[in-house]
Amino acid sequence: MTQHYDVIVIGGGHNGLVNAAYLAKAGKKVLVLERRHVLGGAAVTEEIIPGYLFSECSYVVSLLRPEIIRELDLPRHGLEILPLDGTFSPMPDGNHLWRMNDHAKSIREIRRHSRVDAEAYDEFSKMMTPMCRFVKPMLSMVPPDPTTLNPRDLKQLHFLMQRFRELSSDERYTLIQLMTMSSADFLDQWFETDVLKATMSASGIIGTFLGIRSPGTAYVLLHHYMGEIDGAFRSWGFSRGGTGAISNAIAAAAREAGVEIRTKAPVGKILAKEGRAAGVVLQSGEEITANVISSSVDPHLTFEKFLEPSELPADFLEGVRRYKFRGSSGKVNIALDALPEFKSLPGEGAHLRGAISISPSMEYMERAYDDAKYGHYSRRPYIDMVIPSLTDPSVAPPGKHVLSCFVQYAPYKLAEGTWDDQREAFGDNVIDTISEYAPNIKNIIVGRQILTPLDLEREFGLTQGNIFQGELSLEQLFFLRPIAGWAYYRTPIDNLYMCGSATHPGGGIMGANGRIASQVILKEWKKTAVSRQTKTGTTNGAQSSTEPVTSTAARSAKEQN
Amino acid sequence: MPIGQRVAFIGGGHNALIAAFYLAKGGFEPVVLERREIVGGGAITEEFHPGYRGSTLAHTLGPLRPDVARDLRVEKFNCEILLPDPRVFAPALNGESLLFYDDHAKTAAGIARLSAKDASKYTEFAASLEKISNVFAQLSTITPPSINKPSPEDLWNLLKTGRGVRGLGKHGIFDLLRWGPMAVADFVAEFFETELLRAVIAARGIFGTALGPWSAGSTAVLLLRAAADANPVGSAAFCRGGLGTFTHALAESAKQAGAEIRTNAEVVHIRIKNGAVTGLVLADGDEIPVEAIVSSVDPKRTFFQLMDPSQLDPTFALRIRNIRANGSVAKVNFALNDLPTFPSLSAAVGADGFRQAALSGRIHVGPEIDYLERAFDASKYGEFSGAPYLDLTIPTLLDPTLAPPGKHVLSAYVQFAPYKLKNGNWDTRRKDLGETVIKTIAAYAPDFRELVEAWQVITPQDLETEYGLTGGHIFHGELALDQLFTMRPVLDWARYKTPIRGLFLCGSGTHPGNGLTGASGANAAREIIRELR
Repeated sequence: MTQHYDVIVIGGGHNGLVNAAYLAKAGKKVLVLERRHVLGGAAVTEEIIPGYLFSECSYVVSLLRPEIIRELDLPRHGLEILPLDGTFSPMPDGNHLWRMNDHAKSIREIRRHSRVDAEAYDEFSKMMTPMCRFVKPMLSMVPPDPTTLNPRDLKQLHFLMQRFRELSSDERYTLIQLMTMSSADFLDQWFETDVLKATMSASGIIGTFLGIRSPGTAYVLLHHYMGEIDGAFRSWGFSRGGTGAISNAIAAAAREAGVEIRTKAPVGKILAKEGRAAGVVLQSGEEITANVISSSVDPHLTFEKFLEPSELPADFLEGVRRYKFRGSSGKVNIALDALPEFKSLPGEGAHLRGAISISPSMEYMERAYDDAKYGHYSRRPYIDMVIPSLTDPSVAPPGKHVLSCFVQYAPYKLAEGTWDDQREAFGDNVIDTISEYAPNIKNIIVGRQILTPLDLEREFGLTQGNIFQGELSLEQLFFLRPIAGWAYYRTPIDNLYMCGSATHPGGGIMGANGRIASQVILKEWKKTAVSRQTKTGTTNGAQSSTEPVTSTAARSAKEQN
Repeated sequence: MPIGQRVAFIGGGHNALIAAFYLAKGGFEPVVLERREIVGGGAITEEFHPGYRGSTLAHTLGPLRPDVARDLRVEKFNCEILLPDPRVFAPALNGESLLFYDDHAKTAAGIARLSAKDASKYTEFAASLEKISNVFAQLSTITPPSINKPSPEDLWNLLKTGRGVRGLGKHGIFDLLRWGPMAVADFVAEFFETELLRAVIAARGIFGTALGPWSAGSTAVLLLRAAADANPVGSAAFCRGGLGTFTHALAESAKQAGAEIRTNAEVVHIRIKNGAVTGLVLADGDEIPVEAIVSSVDPKRTFFQLMDPSQLDPTFALRIRNIRANGSVAKVNFALNDLPTFPSLSAAVGADGFRQAALSGRIHVGPEIDYLERAFDASKYGEFSGAPYLDLTIPTLLDPTLAPPGKHVLSAYVQFAPYKLKNGNWDTRRKDLGETVIKTIAAYAPDFRELVEAWQVITPQDLETEYGLTGGHIFHGELALDQLFTMRPVLDWARYKTPIRGLFLCGSGTHPGNGLTGASGANAAREIIRELR
């Protein structure tokens, strides 16, 4: 006998788990299918080197929606966020810039570099706050369709327009700039200190194949800035036990709500008949049916791997093929038996407890991008390092440390050679770069894990190694994400939904995607429950089950009668 | 205010002349004050070498917006517009080349040699560009709406635009939304596979800007230009006697309408009293009392050079200062003792004739997307490109009068040449730039070097000092998403008015800016007349 569920969630990443948890809390019978042996997708902790726990991919958290933490009661399920204080940017000339969460201290530090910037920094923070306030509600809404005259969509668009008009002229001016400018041009207006601008602009390029001088990056800067205004404890931080602990907490909440979770259960195919999803077939050949399939994996896997082209409308498929992944970053996780000594600030200080950013100048950042444009990993990359073991000793043996390095740029498509034969060279290049600022690094390495874009694709199912399941570029945001006309978590296949980072509001450990998707699924469930009553799989005695079908299908069904 | 008041124009560029025409028609007394001995600003004809004349700066027309052309009737003032066909010749280094005609089918036939797929796509591309360009064309005629209190007219305009947009259909609207912020390299890749074809069309998204084909937002620039001419490669319109004849005709037309035009009249200061203009001071000390001033020079010059900035509201001043207006273009004009030969041309036209005709439009040098991008890279670090992207014209093919019999003029737009050089200054690097251009052209026309009799290099520095373009930006400010429409020149002041009573803007720094279309001047005139009446 084949099992039947209300909902099957493909992929046990944080969004898939959030999605499942909310659906189960609403009384649905939910199954989560994870390909790997561990849950979490890119939010995962693994012991790669004995005794050392690596947050392999995603390594810090800030955007996790507060409502999700609250509604799923994550702290009770073991979520504990530890603060990540400040950003330390060493410079080649032996100087450094060290910004801290303590605003006053940061301003004092910046004054060391420029009095003007110290004042501007204060202004800047004041200005960014309303910007984030404007964008935040958009993070929890289903994007409106700008092309219809459907009252619901018009209402939403009007709502956004109104909120825009409520902003002061200066706020509008800045918002428009954030939505259209490059982070470099944007910051140039505010600051003169090169290392300050370089480090700040870095957050504008993360996960994109754009340089700090490419228009559109100012928005990504805002996207990452957002975490920082939610008051101290939700600003950038680690989760105790590594990033995987977040996924585990969500999984625990999901299980408590009745979700069934299977690991090592790779999906091979989505069963679709007459444009309606009916279940999945595992690579093992096992067939599982459900009323709804919710896919947290990216559009390429969902539509090009799990479905046949013939099952999709041509223009939609064209959109899927056009969707830009373009992985641009890699990850190097290093096990250390001592702490790195930075030339510019030796010794074990609080500066090692925050982020350590190798972004000494704007030109440095832009040149790193130029290498990647022509298919080479950056000869001198932008590196964002953290040493979680200082804040959370549980991730390394006593006295030992874990160094996590996010490296950009590393283009998925190399001009020469393959990632398999350049992996080690890539890792060496990263360590050489670090050693220019912390010469002792080479002598304290116990072991390392190198993740190239190719590895991110193979291991974690991130197509082309894009950490956000698709570029955060303007033409792939809001009502254009992932595919113009399909930014509403629905797909052309009835009963098949998307709930991953490829949907609005995009990547990062937010969980918003999974949460909004669950709301859409439940809404349509109700809608179709009235529009048509049908018996469903006898195997599930679950109270709820009436089969959701989109109105079109409902209509065609009626016509048949 | 009474009709018949005096309105002074600062600068005698094409936008000023057009606006002056409309004001004169509206019953005002416009007086155009031009610093140089000739009017025309960036659209002029000069003898850059004995016997050789040419459009030393801008070398093709926008083209002029149809309604403006109709009103000013330039042809009546002996300005003969010359329209070459093919419009563009694009050589590649592998001996291949493409020709772009008015007739898309004819162009496609040529493309078919390189890719049948692209050939069939080309006409489809041209069609969708045409559709979208209508929306932008409509946008370029309106005054950007006020966000705070949109007037009934604003709403009406938006409604019209809205209808135009809806006319594109769901698919079209989403394409528009997607394409706007896109990198033009991605945009062309959605349609074509041939590098040369991609590069020629993508170039339209980066010409005159500090963007490379991989810079997001460059597609918006291309679409904006499509509003002036929907042909995928843009227009190639000349004027017999060079563009000076064109602006001269505009001047004549304005004069006949009743405008006064003074050359060698440099405005050095705008007199302001209690937040309103009272008069102008000329370089020779003359003071001219006026009721209103229309500045056609760029916003930065207007507010920081010609007046005491302390008169300005700090927020406004900051926004003007923030305008990105560092040029990326240089110009080199060559006097040639014969026509250069482009061997790759035979690929496009075959052994038989038409060789001259094929070169009579624009010649695009920049055969690959990466070539264009690398040309841009250099400028990011304060260097000019070793292998620049060039937009060439040989006006003497259609208008032999510009050079001695049998001789030729070749005009080259050079990108990218940054306003600020990292090493040396433009006076010391001037020659290097000229040499670089010769070397680059010679790669496509081997005999070029020995044909060169003389050359004139116009660096971004010269554009500032000689032509009064702050930062050397030929469009008075970057054409980027954050500096267009309601943000051009700055948010809240995109309606040709300024915070100073009686002071208006009508130059390229205002909406829609961009090229010799006269749109800014015509739109400004409409608003000014409404204000002063």
